[in-house]
Amino acid sequence: MKKKASGVFLSILSSALLLTACVEQAATPTETAQPATTNLQSVQDQVIQASDKSKQPEIAKKRTDTFIASISTPEGIFNPYFFHNGWDGNVTNVLFASLVSVDKEGKPVPQLAEKWDISDDQLTYTFHLKKGVTYRDGSPLTADDVAFTLTILHDKSYDGEIDISQAHIQGGQEYKEGKATSISGIKVIDPQTIQITTDKVSAKSLLLLGGPVLSKAYYGKSYKQGDLAYIRELHGKPLESGPYILDTFIPGQEVRFVANEKYFAGKPKVKNLIYKVTDRDTNYQLFQAGELDHAGFTANGETLEQLKALGFANIETYTASSYGFIDFNHQKPYFKDKKVRQAFIYGLNRQQILDAVYQGYAVVANIPSSPVSWAYTDDVNKYEYNPEKAKQLLDEAGWKVGADGIREKDGQKLKIRFLGSKSKLHDALIPIAKENFQELGISFEAEILDFNALIAKQQKGDYDLASFSTPQLLDPSEGVESFSSTYPDNNGYSNPKVDQLLKDSISTLDIEKRKPIYVELFKELNDDPPYIFLYNRKIMSAYSARITGLTQNTYTNFDASLNQIQIEK
Amino acid sequence: MRQYIIRRVLLMIPTLLGASILIFFVFALTPGDFVDTNLKLTPQRAQELRVLYGLDKPIIERYFIWIGNVLRGDFGFSFKYQEPVSDVIKHYLWNSFLIAFVSSILTWCIAVAVGVFSAIKRYSWFDTLVTLGVFAAMSFPSFFIGLLLIKYFALDWKVFPVGGMTTTGSELAGFGHWVDVAKHMFLPVLVLTMLSVGTLTRYFRTNMLEVIRQDFVRTARAKGLKEKVVVYKHALRNALLPAITLLGFELPALFGGAIITEKIFNWPGIGRIHMEALAFRDYPLLMGLTMLLAILTVVGNLIADVLYGVADPRVRLK
Repeated sequence: MKKKASGVFLSILSSALLLTACVEQAATPTETAQPATTNLQSVQDQVIQASDKSKQPEIAKKRTDTFIASISTPEGIFNPYFFHNGWDGNVTNVLFASLVSVDKEGKPVPQLAEKWDISDDQLTYTFHLKKGVTYRDGSPLTADDVAFTLTILHDKSYDGEIDISQAHIQGGQEYKEGKATSISGIKVIDPQTIQITTDKVSAKSLLLLGGPVLSKAYYGKSYKQGDLAYIRELHGKPLESGPYILDTFIPGQEVRFVANEKYFAGKPKVKNLIYKVTDRDTNYQLFQAGELDHAGFTANGETLEQLKALGFANIETYTASSYGFIDFNHQKPYFKDKKVRQAFIYGLNRQQILDAVYQGYAVVANIPSSPVSWAYTDDVNKYEYNPEKAKQLLDEAGWKVGADGIREKDGQKLKIRFLGSKSKLHDALIPIAKENFQELGISFEAEILDFNALIAKQQKGDYDLASFSTPQLLDPSEGVESFSSTYPDNNGYSNPKVDQLLKDSISTLDIEKRKPIYVELFKELNDDPPYIFLYNRKIMSAYSARITGLTQNTYTNFDASLNQIQIEK
Repeated sequence: MRQYIIRRVLLMIPTLLGASILIFFVFALTPGDFVDTNLKLTPQRAQELRVLYGLDKPIIERYFIWIGNVLRGDFGFSFKYQEPVSDVIKHYLWNSFLIAFVSSILTWCIAVAVGVFSAIKRYSWFDTLVTLGVFAAMSFPSFFIGLLLIKYFALDWKVFPVGGMTTTGSELAGFGHWVDVAKHMFLPVLVLTMLSVGTLTRYFRTNMLEVIRQDFVRTARAKGLKEKVVVYKHALRNALLPAITLLGFELPALFGGAIITEKIFNWPGIGRIHMEALAFRDYPLLMGLTMLLAILTVVGNLIADVLYGVADPRVRLK
C-alpha cells in the first residue's frame, strides 16, 4: 500500500481497502449503470487557477502562519521504516529527509546526498552526503547513520514492510541469520561518504539504499542484534531531519508540525503545518468552510465544477503512477491461448466502464505502466472495443457457440468467475462486463469480496478473473516483475521473450538504455497480455489561492515544496 | 439476591470463554491475513513477516497463546498501530462514548416524555404529528441527514463546525476546550438522537397504552385518585419496567461507536478503528474490541436482570 523507498502514498488503494463488505452476489444485469454519455474526452493533466481570490472564507484569511492539509488515517507510527499504513508515510515524508528522492517523472534525484557514484560493474554505490546536515537536535547526520539504518533493516526481528533484501547488499543475509555481526557490504569511508557493495545489479537498489536516514545515536542507543522491540517506544517521538518536526499527534484528529529550524534546505517559511484527519466524503465541505487549505478529492467532473464554483481554489489534476487491471488466471487451460485473452480485451468496453465511473478522469491502459513514467509508450495496440473481432478470435481459438449460446471447446463451457472488491468501479464494471461477455457467448459470474479475502482467494488460484489496482509505482520494474516465469508469486504467465526482456530491463541502471527495452517489453506484454489492462487514474487536489509556492506531483505530493510554501496575507 | 448475582457472574466465565472461541475462529478463518494487505511484498518477505507476527502457527495454537495472554491481562500488540491494544482503544473509545452517552440521555428523556404524552392523548393531532415526525427522522439514512445538517448548520448559517472534535490547531484547555468540544458534538449528537428516538418513543407509547388499560389502573381511578397520580405514579412506573431490559442493551451500544455518523462528522471514534481492524485483519485489535463488546453485552444483561429484580418484586429470584 505504500511506496517502499520513499513512502509515497496511494490514496486510491487505501480508500479502497477501507470499503469492505461481506461476500455478496453482484448486481444483476437489470441494474446496469448506463453512462450519461459515451466516449467522453479524457481530461488532460492541468492546473486551474483560482478565479476570485477574495472569495476566501474568513476563517482561512485569519490564518496566516498555519497551513492545513487533509489526511485520511494516520495511526501514529512516525518512523519511515515501521509504519503499516501509507498515511503514516505521508507524515514521515515531512519528518524525515532521504538520501535520494525522485522528481516528477520518478527519476532519482539527490536530497541529503550531494551525489552518488556507481561503479562500472554497477554493483558498488558510493554516496557523498551534503555537508552540515543535522537532525532537529543539532546532532550531525553522517554516514554512520546511513550504515545503522541499513543494518537494522537486515535485523531478523525487523517487522516493517521494507524488503531490504531486494537491494542485495553483500553480507546482508549473513547478518540476518546471525552469522555476522556487521554487514560486509557496508563501508563507512568518512563521515560524509559511505560505500555499499551489492551482489546483483538491480534498478531497485538505489532508492532502497537511499531512503530516509535514522539517527544512530537516537534510534540505536539500545540496539542489540536480533532485538528491535525497543524501537516501538520511539515511533511517537521521532528525531527529525525533514522540513517540519512533530509537535503533537491527536489520534483521529490532527498531526501538528512546526518548522524545523535545522532543516538542511532552509527553514520553512510557514511556521505551523497541520495534517487534519478528514473523510473524503466531507473534504469538500471542510475546504469550502476554510478549515482546510489543501485537500484531495475523488477526481470526476462533478467535483471539478463544484471546486471551480468556489472561486478561491487552485485545482490540479494529474495522473497516478499506478494502473488498474484484471488478472487472468493463467493456470486455467482456456487462458493458455493468447487469442482468448485478446478476445476478452477486445470484447470488454473498457472506455464505457471508465466513463461511467470517472467521467473522463481515467484513461484506458494498454500496458503495465502510467503515462507519467519515463518508461511509458503508447505505440501499442489500443484494443478498442470490437466485439466482432473478439468473436472472430474466439472462433479461431476453437471456442464455438453451443446450443445454449455459451461457447464451448472439447466439451468444456466458457464460464468465467470474476472477483472484485466493493467499489464504484466494480459497481459499473460488473454489469457492463456481464453484458459484453454475454454477447460474445461467455458466461460471466461476479463475486464481491473484502480485499484481504480477495487476495487470499486469488493466491489459492480459485478464480478466473480478478480485479486490482497496483500500488504507487516508482521504478517501472515494479509494475512488471511478477510476469517473470521465475518470479516466486508468478500466476502462471510464462513467455520466454518477456523473461529475457525483464532480465535485460533491470540489468543496467542507465535509464536511457532501459527505455528501449521497456518499449519492447510493453509491446510484447500488450500482444501476449498477462492482464486485461484497465485504466490509469487521475488524482485531483485543490488548494487555497492564498497559498503560494506550492508545487506537487504524483510521486512526492507537495512534500518537495514544503519549505517554499508561503501564505499571502 | 446475592447468591443469584454470584451465580450469574460465575456463569459469565464460560459464556465469555465460549464467545472468545467463536469470535477468534470466525476472524482467523476469514480468508486473508494482515500480511496480505501489502501487495508489494515478495512472497519470501511476506512469509518472514508471518513468522514474526506469529501468523504461521496453527490456529488452535494461536488461540491458546492469545487467551493465555488475555488471562494475564495482556491483550497484545496491535499489528497496525504497533501499540498495546488497550492503548489504541483508549485513544478512541471515550470519544465515541461521549457522543453516544449524551445522545442516549437525550433519546431516553425525549422518548419517555413524548411516548407517554402521545399515549395519553392517543389519536390526538399531537400524537399523529409526533408519530409522523419520529418515523420520518428514523427513516432518513444517517449520511444523508448528516450531510444535510452540515449544509445548513455549518456552511449556510455557520452556527456549528463541519466536523472534527475540536477546532483545528486549537490550543484551548479546560473550560474553553469543553465548550469547543460541545460545539463540535452538537450535530453528531443530533443525528444519533434523531435516528434512535423513533423506536424508543413508539416503544414507550405502546407500553403505556397497554398499562393504562389494565385493571389496577382502573381500580386506582375508581378509588378517586387524581388523573395525574394515576398516570404518573401508577401507570408510568409499570410502563417503564420493560425498558430496563433495553437499558441493558444500551451498555455495549455506548461503546460500540457509530461508524457512519462518526465518519460524516470526522468524529475520532472507535467505530472506524473497529471496522479497519477487520478490513486489515489486525487480529489482536479486532479481538480486543470485539471481546470488549461481548463483555459489555454480558454485563449489560446482568445489570438489567438485577435491576429488574430490584424494581419489580414479582420477578425477584431467591
